[in-house]
Amino acid sequence: MTDEATRRTVSQIPLLKTHAGPRDRALWPQRLKEEYQALIRFVEQNKAADNDWFRLESNADGTRWTGTCWFIHELLRYEFHLEFDIPVTYPDTAPEVAVPELDGKTSKMYRGGKICLTEHFAPLWARNAPRFGLAHLMALGLGPWLAVEVPDLISKGLVVHKERQREASE
Amino acid sequence: MADDWEEIRRLAADFQRAQFADTVQRLSERNCIEIITKLVQNKKLEVVHTLDGKEYITPAQISREIRDELYVHGGRINIVDLQQIINVDWVHVENRAGEIARSDKSVRLVLGQLIDDTYLDRLAEEVNDRLQEAGLITIAELCKSYDLPGDFLTEELSKRLGKLIQGEVDQYNRGVIFTPAFVARHKARIQGLFSAITRPTPISSMIGTFGFQEHLLYSVLEELVNKRRLKGSVVGGRQDKAVYIPDIYSKTQNAWVDSFLQQNGYLEFDALVRLGIPEPLSYIKKRFKSNKLLFLRTTCVGHTLVDQVEASVEEAVSSATWTDIQSILPCCLSVEDIGILINQALRNTNVQSCARVLGSTVVVSDKFISSCLSLFDDTMQHKAQKEVKNNPVFLITEDDLKQVSVLTESSALSKKEKREAERRKKTTEGSGSVKSGGGGNAREIRIRKTKKKGRKDEDSDEETGPSQQHRSKQTEAPFMAQEEIVAVLQQRVSDCPEEIFSELAEHLVRPLTKTYQEVLRTVFASSTSSLTGANKKKSTKDLQEEITNLFNNIRLFEKGSKFFSDEAQVHIAKHVLKTVCTDLTNILVNFLAADLMMSVENPSSITNEVRLKIVGKLPEETRGPLLKLHNCLNGKSIEDFMINLETCAEVCGFMLKKGDKKKERQALFQHRLALTEQLKEAEDPALVLHLTCVLLFQASTHCMLHAPGRCVPQIIGTLTGRIATEHQQLLSVYESLVVKQLVSQSQSQKLQQLEEEEQAEAPDEEARSIRSQLILMTPQVKELVLSQRKPSVSED
Repeated sequence: MTDEATRRTVSQIPLLKTHAGPRDRALWPQRLKEEYQALIRFVEQNKAADNDWFRLESNADGTRWTGTCWFIHELLRYEFHLEFDIPVTYPDTAPEVAVPELDGKTSKMYRGGKICLTEHFAPLWARNAPRFGLAHLMALGLGPWLAVEVPDLISKGLVVHKERQREASE
Repeated sequence: MADDWEEIRRLAADFQRAQFADTVQRLSERNCIEIITKLVQNKKLEVVHTLDGKEYITPAQISREIRDELYVHGGRINIVDLQQIINVDWVHVENRAGEIARSDKSVRLVLGQLIDDTYLDRLAEEVNDRLQEAGLITIAELCKSYDLPGDFLTEELSKRLGKLIQGEVDQYNRGVIFTPAFVARHKARIQGLFSAITRPTPISSMIGTFGFQEHLLYSVLEELVNKRRLKGSVVGGRQDKAVYIPDIYSKTQNAWVDSFLQQNGYLEFDALVRLGIPEPLSYIKKRFKSNKLLFLRTTCVGHTLVDQVEASVEEAVSSATWTDIQSILPCCLSVEDIGILINQALRNTNVQSCARVLGSTVVVSDKFISSCLSLFDDTMQHKAQKEVKNNPVFLITEDDLKQVSVLTESSALSKKEKREAERRKKTTEGSGSVKSGGGGNAREIRIRKTKKKGRKDEDSDEETGPSQQHRSKQTEAPFMAQEEIVAVLQQRVSDCPEEIFSELAEHLVRPLTKTYQEVLRTVFASSTSSLTGANKKKSTKDLQEEITNLFNNIRLFEKGSKFFSDEAQVHIAKHVLKTVCTDLTNILVNFLAADLMMSVENPSSITNEVRLKIVGKLPEETRGPLLKLHNCLNGKSIEDFMINLETCAEVCGFMLKKGDKKKERQALFQHRLALTEQLKEAEDPALVLHLTCVLLFQASTHCMLHAPGRCVPQIIGTLTGRIATEHQQLLSVYESLVVKQLVSQSQSQKLQQLEEEEQAEAPDEEARSIRSQLILMTPQVKELVLSQRKPSVSED
């Protein structure tokens, strides 16, 4: 499913301990804290490896997350907006990440721009719940999806670099 | 709770800070690759990346690494191995290796391998070790063990020869290195071995037996032979066929050949081949240039031998004898060679014309052959005499031929015809028996007829047969068969070798036959001339007498026949014509034939056909009348015959005197006398009756009768009334008995043929009784005439 490098990266992300969803008032902050710590750790790792590829930001209670992600292909950076909600059954259910810009451009996507993760991801997540968190979601879900889909879309011409778009419009 | 959220907020802020904190300014791997690729493209950097793409390496480093690896691997490394070790692209490794080999003289690139001098030195040392151990080493062997090309090895090793390698390379074969010790050892062996050789030896077999190094052997051998250390020579170059011939061998060989030729006067090629001289002919020619040798098919012969042969041939010719050349020649000479030699000798001595070679080895002078011919003179004379006596008919043929060719010079065709005729005559003559002219009876005639028939058949058969064969047979009377000649020669010329007899006989047959012909002719001529000369007159006189007698007799017989009835007369006339008249005619014809040398000793043996032929050949004036006379013989009338006879006699110059009474009586008397004598002798009842009847007739009528046996009843009929009745009865009884006997005889013959004994008994008894009666009566019947004779005589 994933290459060796990704697996190594994922193994360095600290596993989460608290089993709590957003509805669990008492334990959710604890879980949220752990999520943040994992994300920070992941981002730091990425930066250290010169492999920074997303920005994330949540609302105050940490149930809705938005941000951007990008992919460098042929020395060009393609950037997409991204958003997802923490489902109530979290962490048993993985959040559904959406990339609205690419809605309708690829078959590997549900309506509303929710990406269609590989069939391996769901069992993997289920097996590792509740120890997997958002950082794992990004590393094992969105990351590989982008790596597969974006070059494909670019080659099909469905995704055009913004500068080029600009150049084209000018 | 609130703390928690506070902490979350703080964490969120940390997270944001972490996210927006500058990423470490560090080139990622792919960036680096991109940058270097760019630099290499722009030729600003000269690096080579490893096969896995993880490292870059400069060419100088490659060179250094190659050198290091070369050293590590002991001075020899395969580029393929290098490439795996250095782990850069093959092309770079090869380039660098090539560059190293080019720039550094001590390093070479051989077969995709880098090899430096240290390695080669070590290799040379190894080779040297092996060489010292084995004494000899081949480059091919080294090639195999070191996996290096031969040329390279040869070059490198020869550089080190004498320095690192204590040895030398064969000059003729550069693929071999050997040590001086080895060479010396080898040389010593070769020297010893070849010194011991006394006969030609193929070098290849020596190599096989003693395990010499072929290349070394040849060079050493050559050296030794050239230095005269070895006394001998190598024939056949350096090939498999090469043969070492020691001087001692060729010396003894030559000595043997010389002495053999000296002693025996000849040389046999086969013997030389056995001695091991492959081409004897050229060898002899080379060796005995000065000697004059006669080359034959399988040998060559010295002049002494040729002289000897010539001498003996000459001697044989001059002394008119023969000589067997084989006895003075060595036995190994083939017949063919002897023939050549003899011919040569004959040519040299110029006696070809007066000598012959018989049995392929015996020279016989022509004089000897003629002397052999003379051996046969006696026998020839004897044989010719005998032939003349025995075979006059044959002689007629022979002489007639001669005459015809001399006198008439008629064409070949007529000659042939005549020959044919003669032949026919001869055959009939040969097969015909000598018949008695007089006193014939019916049975005899019958036999004669059948004989004639048979003869006719024979004639026709022979005519259709191949005439040429007969002709050749006739033209040359064979003297002796070849075998007979051989036998005679064996008796007379006992010292000759057996095998030449038949050939000698072959030579003799022809001249003998020729001379025999001549002898035969002369003998015949002398005999006939004596016959014709002295006896001619006498014979003609006799003939005259005989003819007259016969003529008169015929007339008397004719007269006698008048007493009979017409039918009986005809019978009697025919009988007379067939017997007495025929004889007369034959005598006439034979007389005329004698003029033509065709006479037969016994005229009565001439048959109808022969007579006709002879008559056909007579001259015109005599032929006509005689032909008529001849024809009359087959007629019925005696008178016709008499008329013709008279004309014939005239033509032939005979006088036919008609007899007077006195003579007639004399004839009658003589006839009766003859008959009576016959009667006295006769035993056969039929003959007794016949004679008695004839005598009685003559007595009663004073006429002579010459009648066939079947006319006896008529004679008895005419006798009735002329003799006494009791005599008549006696005669008729006797006659009936005779008839019965004849009948019973013929019956018993038939019965015997049927072989029925029981039935034959009765006639046998009857016949016995008849015979006894006849025996009883015969003296009575005889008495009838013999007793009567006296008074009749006294009457006359």
